[in-house]
Amino acid sequence: MKETPQEKRIHENMKAGVMCAKGFLGSDTRHFHEIIETDAAHLQTLGYTREEVADRMQALTNAAFEAFMGSITLEEHLIVEYTSFRGKLTCPFAHPGGFRKGSVTLQNTRNNITLCWTPLNIHMIREHGFFEGHGSEHRLDPDILIKALFN
Amino acid sequence: MITTILTTIAIVGGMAGFLALLLVVAEMFFANYGEVIIDINGKRKLKVKGGSSLLSTLNENKIYLASACGGRGSCGFCKCKVRSGGGPLLPTEKPFLSPDEIKDNVRLSCQVKVKEDIAIIIPEEIFNVRQFAGVVSKIEDHTYDIKELTIQLTQPTEINFKAGQYVQLQSPRYGKIKQKVSRAYSISSSPDHTDYIQLIIRRVPDGICTTWVHDFLKEGDEVSFTGPFGDFFIQDTRADMLFVAGGSGKAPIKAMLEYLDARNSTRRMGYFFGARSRKDLYLDDLFATWEKSMRNFAYYPVLSQPTEQCEWDGRCGYVMPYFDEFIQDVNNTEAYLCGSPGMIAAVVKYLVSKGIPKEKIYFDSFA
Repeated sequence: MKETPQEKRIHENMKAGVMCAKGFLGSDTRHFHEIIETDAAHLQTLGYTREEVADRMQALTNAAFEAFMGSITLEEHLIVEYTSFRGKLTCPFAHPGGFRKGSVTLQNTRNNITLCWTPLNIHMIREHGFFEGHGSEHRLDPDILIKALFN
Repeated sequence: MITTILTTIAIVGGMAGFLALLLVVAEMFFANYGEVIIDINGKRKLKVKGGSSLLSTLNENKIYLASACGGRGSCGFCKCKVRSGGGPLLPTEKPFLSPDEIKDNVRLSCQVKVKEDIAIIIPEEIFNVRQFAGVVSKIEDHTYDIKELTIQLTQPTEINFKAGQYVQLQSPRYGKIKQKVSRAYSISSSPDHTDYIQLIIRRVPDGICTTWVHDFLKEGDEVSFTGPFGDFFIQDTRADMLFVAGGSGKAPIKAMLEYLDARNSTRRMGYFFGARSRKDLYLDDLFATWEKSMRNFAYYPVLSQPTEQCEWDGRCGYVMPYFDEFIQDVNNTEAYLCGSPGMIAAVVKYLVSKGIPKEKIYFDSFA
């Protein structure tokens, strides 16, 4: 696939060791456009938009952020915890600004799904429809994510 | 036919070559900014070659502004005031600047290109910032995700800093990591030790620098860092000191208490250390030692979610309700906080509601 200079830059940013240790693509050999398109189609079959997903993740993140000293239980079955680290994360798609370096852990006790994401994941889902490649540290498979967030 | 194709290739090739040559010549003439002057604080003038970012140009002249992202415009640390010659504010800078800062001509030095004479204002303390080389003499595991490094200085061999300040540790290229990165860590040792520093570093999932520290760095390895930076340090008053920090936020508080202990401080001091469970507690013995050596110091570990395995019968929940055990006179109390933005916001709100003036609350936020 022929890439524009901007796409090349994004691709470079996503590689391991550029913006984070393991990169955003993991072991996925597909182009990031293909990852986005496949996940978008999957999300559509699940009946959700990326904005709905991002809104839900943001609401849980905000609640966990305010708790700051441990996990909190929401809606009786969602245990959320926010861990803060010093510094900022940047968007590989070259959006200006930084995102808090934090890690959100969500445990859904109804279906025993546990997921982890960063504030950057929420941005990448909302703005770019990017759930990361298979095998990356913070890959959020839409199928599992929807079950964790909405079941 | 073949002649036509070859002629066409030759013409196109020739034109491409000519255009490339033209670009090189244009670069030499038009992108060559020549020598420009950087006026610093109206006191010092640097004659430099134009064309690079203000941050890297200052670095080349051994003036180190804080930067945790290596000039990518993502950390927002490298702010300085540009009085003239910085060009227009870029969209990449705006997210990091408050309306007041924009009004005050504050810029991100990594985004400002030095193309013409430029006048800047930077804090005088920046002139104390140096690049240091050292050898890791000790690595201690404090918890499952927190290590403390001791770095013996080799070049230069002495550092002067204030307890509470931080340095920027540089991780080298390793494994798949193709670039050096710098990350900020508070110094956890007292400034009385000028030949070494200690850093408390928590593992960040998928973090470039902390993965290096936790998985690759060994005792005896050479490291480099710049510093000291920061304006979080002990105020020279007689006021009571309330410290609050969790996780690796303990680092600057440890440096402060070690410094105060060496001076047999009699100030009233209370340190509230918030952790989730017993496995997140560390250096408790050291703080217990200081409780004995400093008669007015008390250490208050608080666990937010102790498990049965913790066998914990101490303070539980949030740290704030326990502040009443320490605070005697809100008008004579200073607070020193280090940690997550969520914790800082909640503690500041609580302390202000108790009557402690906001200007007496000092903090180093992980934001």
